[in-house]
Amino acid sequence: MGQSKLISSIRRKPTKRVRVAKSRTRPFSVPPVEPGGPSDLELMKAIQAEDPDALSQLYDRYNGILKALILRVIHNEAEAEDLLQEIFMEIWNQAKNFSSQKGKPLGWMVTLARRRAIDGLRKKQAYARAEERLQNETEQQPDAWVHNSTEEEIVLSDTRSLISKVISGLPPAQQQAIDLAFFRGMSQREIAAKTNTPLGTVKTRLELGLKKIYDGLKELRGEL
Amino acid sequence: MNFKEFQNQSRLYVIGALEAEELEEFEKARKKFGKKAEDYIGECYGLHEAFALSLRPAKSSAGIKDRLMAMVRARKET
Repeated sequence: MGQSKLISSIRRKPTKRVRVAKSRTRPFSVPPVEPGGPSDLELMKAIQAEDPDALSQLYDRYNGILKALILRVIHNEAEAEDLLQEIFMEIWNQAKNFSSQKGKPLGWMVTLARRRAIDGLRKKQAYARAEERLQNETEQQPDAWVHNSTEEEIVLSDTRSLISKVISGLPPAQQQAIDLAFFRGMSQREIAAKTNTPLGTVKTRLELGLKKIYDGLKELRGEL
Repeated sequence: MNFKEFQNQSRLYVIGALEAEELEEFEKARKKFGKKAEDYIGECYGLHEAFALSLRPAKSSAGIKDRLMAMVRARKET
């Protein structure tokens, strides 16, 4: 099947999302998708078949989320844009390594983007400066997740709202530990040193925080 | 390590927060629990999606997509 036929066959595919569209909420891992549009998995399969249009659609769907993730790690607009482009190129090049048995396309893309962003951060000569910026931000705004979730926004997807609610329910110290581990790639020892906190306390904060988020997500999945 | 402890460690593992010595124990338990362990680790990767989706999407400049698609099409032709 040629590339244009492949993607157009995906577009023509009868949708089963009508019931979902009537619901107020969507499955937690899926941002708004136009009714009748291909699923993430269908797009990944088309990308595996080297269909550029599928990558274009996947880019439109997730560039905002992936860029937010990269920015959260490297705190630099220009570098984030360069990295975003590289990551989508890697998605194109590595698509054959994706297996739906191991998880969802978004999870695979986020894992890839996070790894690249953290690697990029570590290689930067400006790492020390970024650290200083983070230090200042951490002091001024210890729980950015709480800030995100309480700030009024004109448009906030149900999905993001629900997830933010789960995360913002954590004590700030747990949020900070998870933030440093996930978005900065820090080990428990590095977090302990950075926050001047005993290692055992850092471990407990991470364990408790992650369990609450995990349990919260399970509840969300049950509700949606 | 019992399975409950393994579950705790799995959540740390997927975000890369296990220390080297913990990782060694974790891998042993992973082998011991087999498929049940793999399934649980797979579920834990949902945390990655959740953290990403908790962020407010950032706007990207239009030029990025144009450059990306030009590169992809050039790569496909070669």
